[in-house]
Amino acid sequence: MKKRRICLCLAVVMAFCLMTGTVGLAAGETWTVTCPWAPDGVASLVSQKAASLSTEYSEDITLVAEAIKGDAATVNTWVLDNEADDPSLVFVGEGLLSITATMDPAKMQFGYEDFEFVENLYSSVFVLSADAKLEIENVEDLQAYVAEADQITVATNGATGSEAFLAAALFGSMDAGDALKLVPYQSAAEAAQAVTRGETDFAVSHQSQILEAYNQEGVTVVCAFDEGPIENGPFAGVEGVGEYGYPFFRNRCFIMARAGTDEAKVAELKALYDEILADEEVVDWLHDTMLLEVDTMEVEDVEDHVANVKDIVEQYIDIVQPE
Amino acid sequence: MLQHIVPASGLLFTLQNILWINIGVFIGAVFAAIPGLTVILCVILFLPVTYSMSAIPGMMFLLGIYCAGGYGGSVSAILINTPGTPHAAATMLDGHPLSKMGRTKAALKIALYASTFGGIFSALALLFLGPQVAKLAAQLGTAECFMVCVFGLTIIAGVSGKSMVRGIIAACLGLLISCIGSDPMTSYDRFTFGINRLYLGLDLAVCLIGLFALVEIVSRAEQKPGELHMDTAKMHDNGVITKDEYKRLARPTILGSLIGVMVGIIPGTGASEASWFSYSQAKNMSRHKEEFGKGSVEGIAAAESANNAVTGATLIPLLTLGIPGDGTVAIMLSALMINGLNPGLSLFTTQGDIMYAIMLGLILVNLFMLIQGKLLTPIFAKVVSIPQEILTPIIVIFCFAGAYSVNKNYFDVGVALVFCVLAWVLRKLDMPPVPILLGLVLGKMTETNFRRALLISDGSPKIFFSSVYCWIFIGLIVLAVGTILRGKLKDRKAAAAKEET
Repeated sequence: MKKRRICLCLAVVMAFCLMTGTVGLAAGETWTVTCPWAPDGVASLVSQKAASLSTEYSEDITLVAEAIKGDAATVNTWVLDNEADDPSLVFVGEGLLSITATMDPAKMQFGYEDFEFVENLYSSVFVLSADAKLEIENVEDLQAYVAEADQITVATNGATGSEAFLAAALFGSMDAGDALKLVPYQSAAEAAQAVTRGETDFAVSHQSQILEAYNQEGVTVVCAFDEGPIENGPFAGVEGVGEYGYPFFRNRCFIMARAGTDEAKVAELKALYDEILADEEVVDWLHDTMLLEVDTMEVEDVEDHVANVKDIVEQYIDIVQPE
Repeated sequence: MLQHIVPASGLLFTLQNILWINIGVFIGAVFAAIPGLTVILCVILFLPVTYSMSAIPGMMFLLGIYCAGGYGGSVSAILINTPGTPHAAATMLDGHPLSKMGRTKAALKIALYASTFGGIFSALALLFLGPQVAKLAAQLGTAECFMVCVFGLTIIAGVSGKSMVRGIIAACLGLLISCIGSDPMTSYDRFTFGINRLYLGLDLAVCLIGLFALVEIVSRAEQKPGELHMDTAKMHDNGVITKDEYKRLARPTILGSLIGVMVGIIPGTGASEASWFSYSQAKNMSRHKEEFGKGSVEGIAAAESANNAVTGATLIPLLTLGIPGDGTVAIMLSALMINGLNPGLSLFTTQGDIMYAIMLGLILVNLFMLIQGKLLTPIFAKVVSIPQEILTPIIVIFCFAGAYSVNKNYFDVGVALVFCVLAWVLRKLDMPPVPILLGLVLGKMTETNFRRALLISDGSPKIFFSSVYCWIFIGLIVLAVGTILRGKLKDRKAAAAKEET
């Protein structure tokens, strides 16, 4: 009987630990940082890295990173569960604040006003890669190709993500929106592979996601979705579409506290993130491993970014999601 | 390769690595044995532990969890008729009946040996054929992936039980349920009924808890108290596997390992698909077809060798092309990246010793899994002797905890309950639940690849006949359908002859 009771108690305790997530909590003032995307994604990885360094840079704040995939659904839950001054942070990006907010606002039970901006975790420049057989090396080659092409196929990660809108904005502003066919894949890696084997003509992806295909000479990298050329790394010198007046935006990951959180606490959190992101080791790791940039921002920059992406979404929504 | 083996061995054979492998193997086996607690969840939970380690011990720890998780899922499938992880569902079909026959230890041992063989087979494939196989896999496009899915759907016939019509209806129900969520090609919501949470679709692990675990509990509640107790005192479970059985295990184990490797290298597929493919093929090729579903040793071996053979195979595209073969491996990629290693062929030149240490480590992981498994089998086997009034509430608690932990959301607990009700109704209608699971596993993948292929070809079905790989898969589909029809005709003739006599 005693054994049975022990078994039952053990099961209850283990289940309780699992349900409440109390296993492994750190001591001190602990801020949970929720990443609403896949645990193997870039944002989650950088968040884990920042969390692991938080105790080195602060005696008062310990960051604990968690990833609960679910995008808007996870952020909805976070907004409902947290109030001002709760020790909890969440990531949002242009995908939610600009794309979902424009295309499917019913999915979001929150708005920008529900958050207090803390810091931008990183900045990533998307690139357009082409099937190597097409021999398209730069924007001029691309313009020549577009002028001749009846159909342009572009592999993207998801049907209505940032990559789809960047492709729509670029080819749409080249007056080739009608010829554009977006082919959605389940992941960025799949999209990169599709262009390598010639299933599509182009792919839009983060730089790191196309690097291996580029190294194997399966693709050429045509241009970057940025104002100027890429400055360093394996794609240094690749032209930015901004140089030609085409629309663009970078991928960013905003760390947010709940609206109304004490300003001094927000400033303290921002200072901690700034210190972590200024660490040379972090800067090198971000760049060497994922080709990301440290890009600390202010509230005004965030609002500009959100507005810019929203403009692009509104302008090219018909190409991405035709009636 | 040879120039890397010696330094790689030096990096691998350290006390620290051996220790982390064993910790990982133990955690993986125990975690995956609990329904709802999937391998991917275990890897996510323990990933931060590796951030303070260097690449090799970190990867060894995670590979320990990954491989042992493949085996651990079979434990609860055999013991309590509830697969601990989705990929152990095929093992359940024969593992639990064999356990009910009083051969729990034998069933657990077969699962362990087959898992170890599959794991080592795929580790060797990774070591010797990695880059070549990866390049081949990279050529498989959308049309080829669709053909793989169609081939997978032929399995339905093998798991439909007495009535193929009922099996097909159940599979269609699974396919329909897999449509819930955002449309993969347009992102429009489908069958979400205004429930926001549903646009993400349904998690397979959560559905599994309702379909198999909770409904099993409900059906126990319907039984009379006398029927619930298994008289374990009368069972002489010495765990012996006879010579004849060992002979019978060889073919399905090798076949399962081959299928596991072939499925594993295709990104987007996984252990669930591999174990079903293997189970179905082993059944078609067996001389003892009638034993399948009733405690066939071949059925356990085929499913388990395949789902563990996936472990090494999914690492092939990851380490050589930087493309994770499945979700769990995608998480493991983080452990490499946090150490500044970006997988790809170039890494074999710049960090060859580390790459080969990881590949050799996979063999070591499987050997330690075998040792730990042998030690744990007698302990696991004792579960069947726990009285139902104690075991049942524990299972229920773990089921709910498992459903919650998938997305840390109570909504999933509700989904598991809905699936429990659905499974109970279907049980009353004599409809098999396994084809529903197959529909769920293959549904989204089949639909996405079919529609994407047609999008690429501007609606022309010629794309499905456009490559040599497509034709190979068409050949396999024809062969599978032919074998099924032949089997059904044979059964019908045998039944007719029996009636006459």
